Amino acid sequence: MQVSVETTSNIERRMTIGVPASEVDEAVESRLRETAGQVRLNGFRPGKVPLKVVKRRFGAGIRQEVVSEVMRDRYMKALEEQEINPAGYPSFEPKTMEEGKDLEFVATFEVLPEIEIGDLSKITVQKPNAEVTDKDVEKMIDNLRRQHADHKEVKRKSKNKDVLTMDFTGYIDGEAFEGGSAEDHQLTLGDGQMIPGFESGIKGARAGEEHEIEVTFPEDYQNEELAGKPATFKINVKKVEEPILPELTPEFFEKFGVNAEDEESFRAEVRNNMERELKQAVNNKVKNDVVEGLLEVNEFDIPQALTDQEIDRLRQDAVQRFGGQMDPQQLPAELFTEQAQRRVKTGLLFQELIRQNELKADSDKVDEKIQEIASTYEQPDEVIAHFNGDPQQKAQVENVVLEDAVVDFVLDQAKVTTKKMKYEEAVQAGQQQG
Amino acid sequence: MNQERIYKVLLGPHVSEKTSLVAEQDQVVFRVAPDATKPEVKKAVEQLFNVTVVGVQILNRKGKLKRTIHGYGKRDSMRKAYVRLAEGQEIDFMDVE
Repeated sequence: MQVSVETTSNIERRMTIGVPASEVDEAVESRLRETAGQVRLNGFRPGKVPLKVVKRRFGAGIRQEVVSEVMRDRYMKALEEQEINPAGYPSFEPKTMEEGKDLEFVATFEVLPEIEIGDLSKITVQKPNAEVTDKDVEKMIDNLRRQHADHKEVKRKSKNKDVLTMDFTGYIDGEAFEGGSAEDHQLTLGDGQMIPGFESGIKGARAGEEHEIEVTFPEDYQNEELAGKPATFKINVKKVEEPILPELTPEFFEKFGVNAEDEESFRAEVRNNMERELKQAVNNKVKNDVVEGLLEVNEFDIPQALTDQEIDRLRQDAVQRFGGQMDPQQLPAELFTEQAQRRVKTGLLFQELIRQNELKADSDKVDEKIQEIASTYEQPDEVIAHFNGDPQQKAQVENVVLEDAVVDFVLDQAKVTTKKMKYEEAVQAGQQQG
Repeated sequence: MNQERIYKVLLGPHVSEKTSLVAEQDQVVFRVAPDATKPEVKKAVEQLFNVTVVGVQILNRKGKLKRTIHGYGKRDSMRKAYVRLAEGQEIDFMDVE
């Protein structure tokens, strides 16, 4: 067996392998004999079909089969001999296939790129520095109450936060326009759902009153025909309701799955949750920055085969996310190419960093992580037992911990700046996928 | 015999254990038209396959009588011709059948 390897690009290799004719033909022959014992042909008793007839009928197909097997086999052997570690599957291209001639074929495949980790200190990471203040907690609780608010009809003038039920018709140049009218429309004052001027025009109205207001559609209104035009709205206010925020009672706490006796402990629980969220957000942000930085500092080619695999995975994810019954192959690959490349690159970089620096998932940290995950559930003990009982789940956690280790490692060397942020900003920063 | 008839005489090769056995002795077997004669078969084989025919034996094989719920049925009968070629000659049915 002769093998020659060509380097066609940074990551692509072409391997030409020659196999002597006798070897291939022998394999074909023995396969033919094997089939001869099994095929059923009209005019022959089973097992009595002469080799000649079998060859005439099935020769070409069998030969092809055998050749592709031989190619795969030789390819594996050649890899071992040459000590090459391929990424993804090779593509074979036989040069000669006739009987009696030496088989020669070309296997094209990609190898993992050799990564030289760039200068990690060039990476800049911006770490949000935020705290959960009493004010934030207050706001959060306020929000929660508002979500569960009851409404009571009132006779007084409407004011901010009130909910108005009304009919309205809009006119432009004296004519009613499409989409400009509604019946029993509910509007919460102060939410800014309507175009500017509408709310302020109606504020202060009582139930049963009729109003006429003049507004101008904003220039950037999504309906181009209406944008920038003045309009008149005739509004019939039917009802004014005032929101009644629920009291902070144990029943109210229960709606959020919190078993709190008094306001104090509920507040603490909310604060706890917020702090956890904040921590996660900060971690996310830092991790994003690290990945971003790594990608920027390290430039290398990635094997197409790996990208393709990743694209397939993303496609499947996407289909599942939409709960769709469609064939993942129908989604255009271009949608995912960029994301797939990023992910492959990140994966390779992380692997390389782990290998070079012999990073390991600390078992203490794994336990800690499991506990952290468990603490968001209502029965933490069960969750912990579940994780420890399932090696696959545990491996996943280990992976996460390992990733964190990489991130920490990079952080040690990177330039880290902290930025003071409010709670909300920090959470938002963490949600943005870089 | 006209040229048109030549193409109508031979219906196809007959492949079976027996035919692969007699092939060793320069004989080939064809299914032929029900009204084909020995001279016709000889001419047709010689012209279509470019060989020399030494002799032709013809036989009629009656179709089997089969009983079904609807009564009796008969399978098609077949007329076969054993054609002996000149020594050493053979016909490759690669693309027929």
